[in-house]
Parts: sequence; C-alpha cells; structure tokens
Amino acid sequence: MERWIRVLLLTVAVATLSGCATVSNWFHHRREAREERAQAREDAKRAEQSPDDDSAPPRVVEPAVERRKISVPRIRSSNIEFGLKYGALSIEDFGTNPVYGLTAAYHVTEDFFFQGEWGRSKAGRTSFETLGGNIQLLTPAERHFTYYDLSLGYNFLPGEAFLGRGVALSSAFYVLGGIGSTDFAGDKKFTVNFGAGYRVLPSDWLAVHIQVQDRVFQSDLLGVTKLTNNIEMSIGTTIYF
Amino acid sequence: MRSFSATGLLALLALCLTPVVGQAREHLQVFVTQPYLELHSGAGRGYPVFNVVPREDSVEVLFRRTDWFKVRTRRGVEGWAAQRDMLKTVLADGSPFTFDLGDRSGFTSHRFELGMFAGEWGGATYISTYGSFSFNSQLAAEVSLGQFLGKFTNGNTIDVGLTHVLMPEWRLSPFFTIGTGIVHLEPKATLVQPTDRTQETAYVGGGLRFYLTRRFFLRAEFRSHYIFTNLNQNQRADEWKGGFAFFF
Repeated sequence: MERWIRVLLLTVAVATLSGCATVSNWFHHRREAREERAQAREDAKRAEQSPDDDSAPPRVVEPAVERRKISVPRIRSSNIEFGLKYGALSIEDFGTNPVYGLTAAYHVTEDFFFQGEWGRSKAGRTSFETLGGNIQLLTPAERHFTYYDLSLGYNFLPGEAFLGRGVALSSAFYVLGGIGSTDFAGDKKFTVNFGAGYRVLPSDWLAVHIQVQDRVFQSDLLGVTKLTNNIEMSIGTTIYF
Repeated sequence: MRSFSATGLLALLALCLTPVVGQAREHLQVFVTQPYLELHSGAGRGYPVFNVVPREDSVEVLFRRTDWFKVRTRRGVEGWAAQRDMLKTVLADGSPFTFDLGDRSGFTSHRFELGMFAGEWGGATYISTYGSFSFNSQLAAEVSLGQFLGKFTNGNTIDVGLTHVLMPEWRLSPFFTIGTGIVHLEPKATLVQPTDRTQETAYVGGGLRFYLTRRFFLRAEFRSHYIFTNLNQNQRADEWKGGFAFFF
C-alpha cells in the first residue's frame, strides 16, 4: 500500500516538473506567434499602401532584367476543303450524262467531316422517246438535273499511299450520307444521298477525290410513283484552307 | 470578252491559292517538357511515329488540322503532333501552350456553330442549315437557310435571329429563339397558274441542345412563323426540325 502511494506521488511530481518547461510556456508561445503574425500583416499592409515611403527599407538589388514578352502568333487552322468535281451521273430512265459540281467540306475531327455539294447535269432521252420518234417528255430546260446536298462523312480507313520508295501520301476511304434537294423535270424533290469515296493528299493543302454516290428521290414522272436511284461517279480536286 | 473573264477567273483562283501556297510567316515556337514529343507521319491516331523531339528542344507550330498540329523541328523535319501532346509543351517564357480544345467546355462557350437539320415546315418536308456567332456563352446571332418541298408548294426560307441558351453548362440545355426572315413560296402549277411570292416572316421558338462528343451536339427545335400577308389575317406556319451541329 505504501508503495502505491509512493508511485502516485512520484508520478504527480514528474508530470508537474516536466510540464514546467513545455506546457507552462505554451500559452505565451502562442501569444508571441499571434503577435508576430499580426505584425507581419500590418507591415504588408503598410508596404502596399506606400511603396515609395521613405521609411521603407531600400532595396538591395534592383532587378535589371525585364521579363520577356512573348507575342503568340495566331495558329492557322486548315480544316476547310473547297473544290470542283467532274464525272458521270446516271439519271434513272434518262441515261448517263456528264456532271460537274462544287464541293465544300469542314473537317470537324480527324474522323468526321461535314460536306456540302452542288452539281449539275443534263438528262438524255428515255428509250421511249428514242423509239417514239418526235415525242418529247421534257422541255430542254426541264432536262437540267441540278442538286445540292448536305452530308456527314466518316473517314473509316485512313492510311497512306506509296509512290515508289520515297513518297508517302496521306489517304482515306470515307463513307458519307445526307439529305438535299434535286431540281429535275420542273419539280424539286427531297433527296437522300449516300456514298463512299477515296481521298489522297499529294500535299498538305491539296486533295484528289474519287467518289461514288447514290441520290434517291421519289419521282412520278413516268406515271407511277417510284424511288429513283441516280448514281454518280466523280473525280474531284479540293484545296484545304 | 470570254477570254477576259477566263483570265479574271484564273487571277481570282491564283489570289485564292496565294495564302496557301506561298507564305513566309512567323510561326509559334514551343518547347517540349515531357521526355519527348512524338511526330506522326499523318494527321490521325493510326499514322506511325517517325520522329521524336527530345525534352527542352523546340518545334515551330505551322498550322492545325482538327486535333493535330503540323510542326517543324529545329532540324527541319516536319510531322504531326497530337493535340494532347501539344498541351504539355510550353512557350519560350515558360507559360503553358494553350489552345481551344473542342471538348465539353467548348460546348459551353465557343464562337461559331454550324449545323444541318431535317424536319417539317408548314407540313412540307424541310431541309435546313444554320450558322451562328456567339457573343457570350448564352447569347448568339443566328442565320438559317432552308428549303421546303411540299405536295402543293415548294419554297425557300431565310431567317435571322437571336438565340438565348438557358443553361449553357448543362449537357442537355434548352434555348429560346426569336427573329425575322423571308419566305419565298413557289406553288406548283396544278389548276390555275399561280405566281411565286416572297413574304416577310417573324418567328419565335425554342428547343434543346444535347452535347454528344468532341465538337458535336444534337439540336432539336420548334419555331412558330408568322407570315405577313396582305390579307386580313396573317398566316402561321410551324417548323419542326432536328439535326446535328458542331462548334468551333
């Protein structure tokens, strides 16, 4: 029992004595830290308010190096393609005829592009007209086949084409589909188009295209309403801007 | 006269080509901070890497095509660097090289939009395209061109208006639109010989935009057009359309 009391007393004594060095000074230490921070804040405030104040300590080193200013030139974007095309258009019932047109495309990502096209051809004679002698189904003005369309394209086989050992040209197979309008035989028809093409780039700004497209619209020209398929094959060249 | 116009056309073509073909301009120089910068032989993820630029070396940025930058090394080698690799390069003053990325944040705030739609205008099949210029993330000026192909009437429309996007930071964001335009009607000759006519219109409408991926989003829209006629009553035509668009 006596030993227990001695242990207890000793523990109390050790706790109090060691605390003298750390704990008793702790409160004052915190107060000093607070005062130091307040002083630093005040100094900073004063320096901010009067940077040219005479009472401020003089700068030892004046930085003589001026920060280099970089003027950032605008980076040119080259996503727009514009060009011409020429080919053959098979107008259902009216034979195959030359077609020419304009194409414009905007490359949104490396995979997708948005393409607009305009083209014109002139329909030939139907077999009925050829056999029937002087029968004319359409006037010369009505024989003009004019179309435009807006399509979304997808480059599904990008690659390179090699010309011998030293030259590699970027190329891509693409598929495209869209909607548009066809003005033919005195009427305008809603037209759906789909097709595929091959594009090869001899340089960064020039492309050569080979494209096959089907333009489908409803026609009642020959008495019955039917879907007509008008297949076009064209070769074109475009310039990237 | 014919040869004169041909010469004129050729001169115009030459003028158009000049900025592309012959250009001596200052290019931006960026420094590689990663262990190396890979150069691909074409502007696409599948093209092989044929050259690398080591850390702290620099490249000149020639131009950009979609998500790829054509760059030239100090040794004169030209190749294509991916956008995600270029993001890790720095300018000469050490600041990061930043550019427009074409991601979800670009959907919230961008300059231009282009899109195409299919739909219905006054009961007729309608094809339309539009372009817009954004003043800020919410307000944009818009021009739409359209053509409707109906059973009895064909026609073209041009609309100019303002669009206000309510919550541009949302993936599915509603918008309101208001504007004016003209409609050119071409009735088909069936019983009587009608005449083509052009009339002014005003419209109000709204719709939804839904961000898909990269620079693409879907857009569906309704517009109620008031056609100002010289009859006692103005006519109304409803336009419904849906399609896709992209921003840049």
